[in-house]
Amino acid sequence: MEIIIEEISRNHKLLHRHKLTKAQINIGRDYHNDIILADPHICPSHLSVDLIDGQWHLTDNQTVNGSFIENINEKKHSADNHIVHDGDVITLGKSQLRILFTDHPVEPTVAFSPFESFINLMRHPAILLLSITLFTLIAGAVFYLNTPTEINFSQLLVPTLGMALGFAFWPAGVSLVSHLNKHDARVMAQFGISFAFFNIMWFTDLLESVAAFNSASGSIAPIFIVMSSIALAFSLFWLNGYIGFHMPAKRRIIVAASMTILLFGGSYVVQYSNKPEFNPRPQYNSTIMMPSFLVASSSSVDKFVKDSEKLFERTQKAARKD
Amino acid sequence: MKAFFTLVCILLSTSSFATEQAEQLFNQLKPSLYQIKLIDKASGEKSSIGSGFQISEDGMIATNYHVISSYALHPKKYRVEYLDSQGNKGDLTLLSVDVINDLALVRRSVEQNMPFFKLSSSAPHKGEQIFSLGNPHDLGMIVVPGTYNGLKKESFNERIHFTGSINSGMSGGPVVNKQAEVVGVNVATSGDGIGFLVPHDKLVNLYKGFMEKPPETIALQMAEQLTSSQDKLISAILSSPWHSKQLGDKGLIPIIDVPYIRCWGDSNADKTDALILTAVANCSLDENTYISSRFFTGAMEIEFRTMQAKDIGANKFYHLYQQQISRAGAGNRADKDNVTEYQCHHDLVMPQSQAINNKTIFCTRAYKKFPDLFDVLYLSASIDKEKQALVSHFTIAGISQSNALAFTRQFMEAVSWK
Repeated sequence: MEIIIEEISRNHKLLHRHKLTKAQINIGRDYHNDIILADPHICPSHLSVDLIDGQWHLTDNQTVNGSFIENINEKKHSADNHIVHDGDVITLGKSQLRILFTDHPVEPTVAFSPFESFINLMRHPAILLLSITLFTLIAGAVFYLNTPTEINFSQLLVPTLGMALGFAFWPAGVSLVSHLNKHDARVMAQFGISFAFFNIMWFTDLLESVAAFNSASGSIAPIFIVMSSIALAFSLFWLNGYIGFHMPAKRRIIVAASMTILLFGGSYVVQYSNKPEFNPRPQYNSTIMMPSFLVASSSSVDKFVKDSEKLFERTQKAARKD
Repeated sequence: MKAFFTLVCILLSTSSFATEQAEQLFNQLKPSLYQIKLIDKASGEKSSIGSGFQISEDGMIATNYHVISSYALHPKKYRVEYLDSQGNKGDLTLLSVDVINDLALVRRSVEQNMPFFKLSSSAPHKGEQIFSLGNPHDLGMIVVPGTYNGLKKESFNERIHFTGSINSGMSGGPVVNKQAEVVGVNVATSGDGIGFLVPHDKLVNLYKGFMEKPPETIALQMAEQLTSSQDKLISAILSSPWHSKQLGDKGLIPIIDVPYIRCWGDSNADKTDALILTAVANCSLDENTYISSRFFTGAMEIEFRTMQAKDIGANKFYHLYQQQISRAGAGNRADKDNVTEYQCHHDLVMPQSQAINNKTIFCTRAYKKFPDLFDVLYLSASIDKEKQALVSHFTIAGISQSNALAFTRQFMEAVSWK
């Protein structure tokens, strides 16, 4: 009868898997054992697993630190003379083993996500290089456009490269965390996806400006654009999770949503806490763009004056409230 | 030789006569002069000082509104006290104010009829010697001889231009002619020996108004005065000629032809490394009505700015242009207790002439203590030329909704490209 013994980490991640056909399996630190563990808290000949009458029995060989059965439902108890069930987790020293029978059920096959082909495209070195170059060029253009004095190429280079490097910290960080968690880091894919999204975000920034420029106050177009950048951030976090970590779909959505809330909620909280109790300056949208971005038609003076009337009522109401 | 000697004698005698006269006047008027102190009830210490003078035998005293403003706004926190030339003290009650002309009437209790200042029935002649009385910096009562130089013509609310130094603490003190009749009240200084006085007829009006019908409450009285003053100002401005004037290469801006709105100009034509050539015209109304040390109203500023891109593309020009218009602020000082926060509206607007297309922003905040008065801010930026821009901007403090909108409408139609 075959038995599978898995070495697992403390949070039950698989480290090694052994499939054995013997009727007696010895586990311990010395080299006679069938499964050799390096943990210094394990005795040289620590535990044996024996097949008796079709059932596997555990025997603890009077070890220094003992062997214990980890069970979610019960308190942990000594593993000596225990009859093994499928999926039992045994703690010896600081290590853990999981014992599985060959008929242990497995998860259904995960189909490739439709994003997989997109991810594969983005991680292609040529495409990746293109995204990063595009990002850097746009960052350079933004710096150039907002500098009120004359500026030469080398003066632009430092902040631009700095910004590209700063943004590269995100995919690098995600890859590192995924690597530390014993997942496949897929560094190129993380970089490819992140920079592709950063570029899409530049584009929504532009759209946001165009919408703000072309609409009067109270219009829903800018709100729609803000919603779309929230959706983009969520997608990026979801894909980062998809690439770097194996986790159930539900949990991935929760993680991505929490990170989105953290990002947008966090920046809102920072703004809110910096807000003075009373602001003597008006807060208005001053977005203007060059005439080629102008698509909306203009209102008449009459309409503008009529719309402005409402402000008087609103501020008067606010004055009465205090 | 004899004639010359006589001339010198006359000159000497007139100058010594002036000093003598000042001294005589001072001694004669001293009993009716007061130092006015605002005492903070909680700490028992004075929080501001000024001067005042008695104008009726039954103890009515005139002073500046700004001397007693804290008491007018927070009567529970302060009390007003007088100190006369003999060092006697007593409490004062507030009767009536004129915030626009910065005057106030207070009353002390009297046991018997007292000497008082007579108000002049006519304005002095230009060049006439007049005498300002008051207590500068709490140093004791003094008299400052000076010259009457007529009314300051750049001021919407009349003020006398007085050549003679007025210092803080003298506020509310009287200015008298040689006959010891009051011709004005000390109110402000612009330094360098130039002072400003409220003409005596404003005080006469306030006194008569009070005798006819005392105000219901000081707050209501102030609200009425502010409302009628802005009505008067805006209707004068709207009915005055607005001349179209060129600014920069192509901008056409309105210049309101009234003496009390004065314009100044500037440009960066001398800066060879500037990316944008800018010309600015800045017009303002020289008024700032004092309500409290943290709240002024009545100010009006108008600003026009043209910009022309030099060696940069349209995209960069508009980025820098946006930075120029993103931080407009209020034209008057006001705090949380007196005004709400601004609320703004923006849109793309083209006037009837269709000669310009603008992004226009209008903001307003309401006054908390004077209903129906607002501060407004207007900012309009042209968006129809690739490398040229015209910004028009104004702020008006303490204006009614209908006046604000009427002014805005006329202003919007008056700015365009040539």
